[in-house]
Amino acid sequence: MSESSEELTIHETIVLLPAHLHARPAGALVQAAARFKSTVEVVYGDRTANARGVLAVMSLGALAGTYVLLRATGPDAEQAVTTLAEVLTNAQ
Amino acid sequence: MAEPVGIVLVSHSAGLATGLKEMLLQLGGDAAAVATAGGTDDGRIGTSYQRILDAIAAVDRGAGVLLLTDLGSAVLTARAVLADHPRDDVQLVDAPFVEGAVAAAVIAATGADLASVRAAAEEARDVRKL
Repeated sequence: MSESSEELTIHETIVLLPAHLHARPAGALVQAAARFKSTVEVVYGDRTANARGVLAVMSLGALAGTYVLLRATGPDAEQAVTTLAEVLTNAQ
Repeated sequence: MAEPVGIVLVSHSAGLATGLKEMLLQLGGDAAAVATAGGTDDGRIGTSYQRILDAIAAVDRGAGVLLLTDLGSAVLTARAVLADHPRDDVQLVDAPFVEGAVAAAVIAATGADLASVRAAAEEARDVRKL
């Protein structure tokens, strides 16, 4: 696989939220997302937020007990999705 | 990681500025990178040229400093400070005070550069609450 196609890797996972995706979890998500090269999106219903935008993530209004989709695009997409899913799963 | 961009919260009210700082720290902001300049020199409601100048110095660690203001004379006083001490890497941003500070502080704590921190604060104008 060539270098350029490797950078187009897309990885997704679905996370059940144990807590509302409000200020503190959103802050933690942004901090975690910044460690990866990949672009990560958080999809909730018909809305999508970039995981680097704390206000956009908060404005999704994602509630405890519902699911969000994490979608990463980039060279470290799989690691990014795995790490961010853990952040959300451990949110309080 | 590189030193973070400094953030200065300029408010008419010392309580408002320190309260906002407390909130930023809860969301992952870096305590040493956020300074407040709230109220007048004698503790009344208003803004202080000297407090703004001191706050900039307190968080200036080489990566630049971004100033956020509440409204009115906070903007004018901050502009006066920057006019007297012009530097490319010390900037006033046009952004909502609370939302802009939250967006800026969270991204600054990740080691983002001044342009990215400023952009995050400016984007706060376009993110709807509801």
